[in-house]
Amino acid sequence: MRGRLNASLVTGGVLVGIVVLAALVSFVWTPHDPTLVDAAGKLREPGDGYLLGADKFGRDTFSQLMVGARTTLYVGIVAVGIAAAIGVPLGVIAGMTPLGWLSELIMRVNDLVFAFPALLLAVMLGAVYGAGTLTAMIAIGVATVPAFARVARAATLQVMVTDYILAARAAGRRRAAVAFRHVLPNISSVLIVQASVSFAIAILAEAALSFLGFGTRPPTPSWGRMLQESQELLFSTPRLALWPGLAIALAVLGFNLLGDGLRDYLDPKLRRIRAER
Amino acid sequence: MLSVEGLTVAADGVELVHDVSFTIAPGERVGLIGESGSGKSLTALSLMGLLPEGVTATGAARLHDRDLVGVPEKRLKDLRGSELAMVFQEPMTALNPLMRVGAQVAEVMTLHGVPRDRARARAAELLGRVRLPHPEQVARAYPHQLSGGQRQRVMLAIALANGPDLLICDEPTTALDVTVQKQMLDLIAEVAPALLFITHDLAVVASVCERVLVMYGGRVVESGPIREVFTRPRHRYTEGLLAASKLTPRGTRLPTIAGSVPAAGTFPGGCVFRNRCPHADTTCEQAPALTGEGHAHACWHPADRG
Amino acid sequence: MPTHAGTPLIEASGLTRVYHRPRTSLTRPGEPVHALRGVSLTIRKGERFGIVGESGSGKSTLLRLLCALDRPTAGSIRFDGREITGLPERRLRFLRHSLQIVFQDPMSSLDPRMRVRDLVAEPLVALGEPVGDRVTELLDAVGLPATAAGRYPHQFSGGQRQRIAIARALAPRPKVLVADEPVSALDVSVRGQILNLLADLVDELGLTLVFVSHDLSVVRHVCETVAVMNDGEIVETGAVDDVWAEPRHAYTRTLLQAVPTLEGFR
Repeated sequence: MRGRLNASLVTGGVLVGIVVLAALVSFVWTPHDPTLVDAAGKLREPGDGYLLGADKFGRDTFSQLMVGARTTLYVGIVAVGIAAAIGVPLGVIAGMTPLGWLSELIMRVNDLVFAFPALLLAVMLGAVYGAGTLTAMIAIGVATVPAFARVARAATLQVMVTDYILAARAAGRRRAAVAFRHVLPNISSVLIVQASVSFAIAILAEAALSFLGFGTRPPTPSWGRMLQESQELLFSTPRLALWPGLAIALAVLGFNLLGDGLRDYLDPKLRRIRAER
Repeated sequence: MLSVEGLTVAADGVELVHDVSFTIAPGERVGLIGESGSGKSLTALSLMGLLPEGVTATGAARLHDRDLVGVPEKRLKDLRGSELAMVFQEPMTALNPLMRVGAQVAEVMTLHGVPRDRARARAAELLGRVRLPHPEQVARAYPHQLSGGQRQRVMLAIALANGPDLLICDEPTTALDVTVQKQMLDLIAEVAPALLFITHDLAVVASVCERVLVMYGGRVVESGPIREVFTRPRHRYTEGLLAASKLTPRGTRLPTIAGSVPAAGTFPGGCVFRNRCPHADTTCEQAPALTGEGHAHACWHPADRG
Repeated sequence: MPTHAGTPLIEASGLTRVYHRPRTSLTRPGEPVHALRGVSLTIRKGERFGIVGESGSGKSTLLRLLCALDRPTAGSIRFDGREITGLPERRLRFLRHSLQIVFQDPMSSLDPRMRVRDLVAEPLVALGEPVGDRVTELLDAVGLPATAAGRYPHQFSGGQRQRIAIARALAPRPKVLVADEPVSALDVSVRGQILNLLADLVDELGLTLVFVSHDLSVVRHVCETVAVMNDGEIVETGAVDDVWAEPRHAYTRTLLQAVPTLEGFR
């Protein structure tokens, strides 16, 4: 049941692993308090216990990055969780009754949400309910629902025409049991791939929202806000923008590679080709 | 014309085809019979230079005096589709769904240097030759507008386009209905310049070929004129396969071969059939050679000539 | 003749099934496809009934209707005297109990993500029956070791997978076994094993067998009665031996002549 490890999977796994590790360690230890304002250490250069230096308030950049990883993962997990929790059931239902009115309704509403820009939704929600991490997560999550619903529907359609679904029905399985016992396990690999790709998009969206001031609020460290705060010093102290920028880029790259790698690793078709040799 | 000597195909250190040798003379129709895992398709693909990545062939295979195994892809490309052509099992996936079939037939000719307008005219002619009714109309159709049998005829037309010396067919009628199959088999037998016909179906081979090679576990275990092999099989596998193929009326038990075909790479050493053979003994731990003029077999305890 | 001895178990009359192609225009509905055009047949208790036809003959559609996996456009099917057409799934439990299917390709009819144990027990679980030692018992009945239960379908050869599918079908002790081309995806050397196994089980368990195939010679080996289908209709029906020896319908004759034989040397 296992494929072969590939370069994308390993590289992606390592990058994602670093982000997860940094986030976990930040709970128990950071070099300095990431929120401690220290006028004396303003724009401190790297070195002397401050690995990457400090920002204009004297906060340690490295510590901020570590805690920022936490925010990033938190947003990703909740946003992807919301998207999957709503999108997958909708997609499976639509895929199992492709000709019914319900399927039609689900997919058309889906198209509507899909057509609506995620950032605009977040800005609107922020204006109504107040900006913050939670608002950002919900906005990103809702905006990602169609992606999950579509992928789940397409995969379900493929599974539904197989003989084992017919066999399960002939064995007397009800619809719900068919969905849980046969459809979900067989579309899980596609969903895992979708989740990792959506995760990357969510990270990027959160960074963008925080940059615009609609995301994570101070003083909670966030990579997006670190970027925003470093804006005015971009030419004098470029390292302040460089590190969070690099962190975002690598995390997004990591999740994308992980998704690619998982697709190859879990794809039964590719696996079969190997087995036949 | 085609001579294959000691062809061995391996992947990841596992031999999938072992030391296969045979020849095909011009105009001859040879069948290659085998069940799943026998290595029959790999044998054909290695002649075409179309082995999947990671699978390699060694040994010698020559068409006229040109090498087919172990030569650069570039030289094979010229040969493929001109002197050597192949028809595959599934005609739907072998055709380009976005291209009219006439253009696809013409394309193989322009690829090998035939001027475009001549190729187009000849395409319609070829479609007629494979007995497609209204060839001009068919030439303008897309693959999905044709039936399975018609698509397979188009594949045959493509294979014949450059007047190949040898036609290789891999289970060309397995996906077709029996009534369509018969016409297709008759057609192949009629138009093939020389034929290597790969199938699992003994009865199909009987209706098309003159000579047959029986493969099992990556080896040729028996070969000879079809009438002889089918009426007086010597190898115990051929014997069992023939017995199992004859469906008797209701109420009788079918003769069977014990066990199942092992997975690739798990065949026993020595005689590859010995773990399923009722006649196997310690002698069979040594690999038997394929011996005999005309009708040859590789078995220590062959069935008697009846 | 056993053909006339048994009481009718499955009675189908006037079965019609029309599909619609996907619509290509906003104003007109999709083109209709007549998969079945008024098919009637009677299958008796204990009978081995063969259905022969090529692709597009309607045999697969008929089979789905008989198994209540699809609904006819018109016509009725009575199983053991009870009408089954149009019934919702929850009222089909008696049918699921009494009638089970073995599909053509055991690679695709067994869920690749389930272990053999769960696959064989699935009909019992679905019908809310105790599983107990039944899986081991069934595996034994089809000639597989008890250790097979913990493995996945892809770890078995084609013939073994079809044995698993047969064990699964027999789980709820059905009265009728429907076999849809059960040997056409198998190697010749194992085909005989599966046909022998089916014959033995049908005998031992006193099953009624509905055997669908494109190959009249396989049906001749297995069945006593045959219905030949072409273009959505049954063109000929009768005792297999009679149809084999003296086909009356032109299509049956074409079909018989087209089957390649081992003796048909050039």
